[in-house]
Amino acid sequence: MSRTGAGVRPDTRVSYRPPLVTRRNVCVVGVGLSDGPVTPDMTGLMLEAQAFRRALDDAGLAPRDVDGLASAGYGGMHEVMLAEYLGLRPRWLESTSCGGSSFEFHTLHAFRAIEAGDADTIAVVYGNNQLSASGRTLGTGGGGGRGFAMPLPMAYEFPTGLTLVGAYAMAAQRHMHEYGTTPEQLASIAVQMREHAARNPSAMYRDPITVDDVLSSKLVADPLHKLDCCVISDGGCAIVLTTEDRARDLPHRPVYVRGAAGATTHHSIQGMADMTTTAAASSGPKAFAEAGIVPADVDMFAMYDSFTYTVLVVLEDLGFAPKGEGGAFVADGNLRLGGALPTNTDGGGLSATHPGMRGLFLLCEATRQLRGEAGDSQVAGAEIAVAHGSGGWLSTQGTVVLATEPR
Amino acid sequence: MNAWLGETPKYLVPNPTPEDREFWAGARRGELRIQRCTTCGEHQHYARMLCSHCGAQTLEWVTASGLGTVYSFTVIRQNGVPPFDERVPFVVASVDLDEHGARVLAAMPGVEPGAVAVGMRVRATFRPASEEFGFVDFEPV
Repeated sequence: MSRTGAGVRPDTRVSYRPPLVTRRNVCVVGVGLSDGPVTPDMTGLMLEAQAFRRALDDAGLAPRDVDGLASAGYGGMHEVMLAEYLGLRPRWLESTSCGGSSFEFHTLHAFRAIEAGDADTIAVVYGNNQLSASGRTLGTGGGGGRGFAMPLPMAYEFPTGLTLVGAYAMAAQRHMHEYGTTPEQLASIAVQMREHAARNPSAMYRDPITVDDVLSSKLVADPLHKLDCCVISDGGCAIVLTTEDRARDLPHRPVYVRGAAGATTHHSIQGMADMTTTAAASSGPKAFAEAGIVPADVDMFAMYDSFTYTVLVVLEDLGFAPKGEGGAFVADGNLRLGGALPTNTDGGGLSATHPGMRGLFLLCEATRQLRGEAGDSQVAGAEIAVAHGSGGWLSTQGTVVLATEPR
Repeated sequence: MNAWLGETPKYLVPNPTPEDREFWAGARRGELRIQRCTTCGEHQHYARMLCSHCGAQTLEWVTASGLGTVYSFTVIRQNGVPPFDERVPFVVASVDLDEHGARVLAAMPGVEPGAVAVGMRVRATFRPASEEFGFVDFEPV
C-alpha cells in the first residue's frame, strides 16, 4: 500500500504510565444545553452564555468559582472573547481547535490540569448558530474557501470540487472496497439514531426512518446519501469539571473522568494513508488503558456521528467490533437502546443536533446517562460511558472515558 | 466535459507558494511534477520543505510517469460553489502514483461516474488554469 506521510498509521502504542505523584480525581459536575435546535434570534455567543449559565446552575456553582475556560470557535482567540463576554478572568485557558473533537481534547487537557492542581474548576463551552447564520450549505461547498486563498493542503483539494461530504464518502468507499461494507449497513446507523431521536423532544428530526428511506434519499457524494449526513442546527453546550473533593458538596452524583486521549493522523483526506483506520485506534486503547476498562465494559457510547461512516470506522478502531466487521455489528442493531452498545441516546448528530461541531454534546449526553437522568432514553444501570469526538475529515480523534466510580 | 473548460474563476486559479510553484507550472506544461527524497527514495505530493516519510531535507523535483491506481473515489453530486454546481455529477479520486509514496487527489472530468472503481489504472491529464498554471486531472488508462 502506498504511503503519503511519515505518520502513516495511528500510533497504537499504549504509552500510559501511572503517575509518579498522587493525582486528584476529576469529575464532571455540571452540564447545560442551550435552546435549540433552531434559534434564529440568538448569536453563537448568546447560545454559549445560555449553556454556560445552565451548566453552572446544574453544578450549583457561580461564575466566580470557575478558574479555567476552554472553548473553540471558527476564528482565533475565540475562548478569550468568550471569557470577556462572560465576565470571567480565568487563570487557565485552553483553545485546542482541531474540529469537532476539540472538546474531547479540551476535556483531556482540563482533566490533566485539575488532577495536577493547575486549575480547580474548568468550564468547557461551545455554541454556534450555524443553521440560522449560514443555512444548510456546509459540507457541500458552502463551508469552502470561495474567494479566499486556500492554505496547504486545501489548495489542492478545493479546485477539484471535492466537498466535506465527499472527503468522508471517499473514505467510506475504500472501506466498502476492502471489507465489503454495504450502503445498507451504513444506513442502519442512521435508522438507529432516528429511533433515539424519537424519544428526544429537542431533536431536529423525530419521525422514524427505514434503511430504504436512507437509500432512497438523495445521493450527496457516493456512497453517502443525505440521510447518511448529520443535520445542521443551532445550539450550545457547556460542561463543568472540578475536583472530587469539591464535587462531594455539589448537588449531583459526580461523574468521574477515568481516562482520556487524543491523536491525529492527517489533515486533509489526501493525507489519510489508510482510509479504513483512524487515530481512534491510538486514542481509544490509550484512554481505555488509563481508565482500566476494555470495550466490553462500556455501557453507553456517545459517538460523533458526523456521517454514518464515522461511526462505523471508529467502532472498529475502538475495538467494539473487529476491523472490517463494523458493518455487521451495526446492522445487528447493537447501537439501539437495549442493544449491546446503546449509542447516541439523544439521537446524535444524524437526527438531533449538530451546530457545526458536536464534540461537547457527547460529553453532556454521557454525563446525563451516568447520572440516571436520561428519562425515556435511560440505559439501565449505566456505569461506564465513552464520549468520542472526530474532527476535520476523520483527522483528529479524542476519546474520554466517564464513569460513576473513580479509578 | 464542457463545464470543465472555459475561463477559471479567480478563486480557483492556483496561488502557488515558493515551494509548490513547480507543481502548478509543470501542470501547465503537461508534466506531473512531484518531489523525490534522495535519502529514502520515497516520493511525496504536495511539495514540502522536508520529506514526510523520513524527515530529510534532501528533496528533488522529478517528473512522474503520470500513471497510477485509484485508491478511492467519490462522485460529487452536490456542490453549491460555481462552477462545480454546473459540473455535477463528477468524480474526484485519490490516486496512488506508480512513484511510491505519492498520492494525488484530483478530478476525473470526462468520466461517467459508474465507470470508475477502486483499483482502476489511470493516467494524468492536464488542463490550463491560467497562462502560467494548470490543473492535473486523471482519466482511465
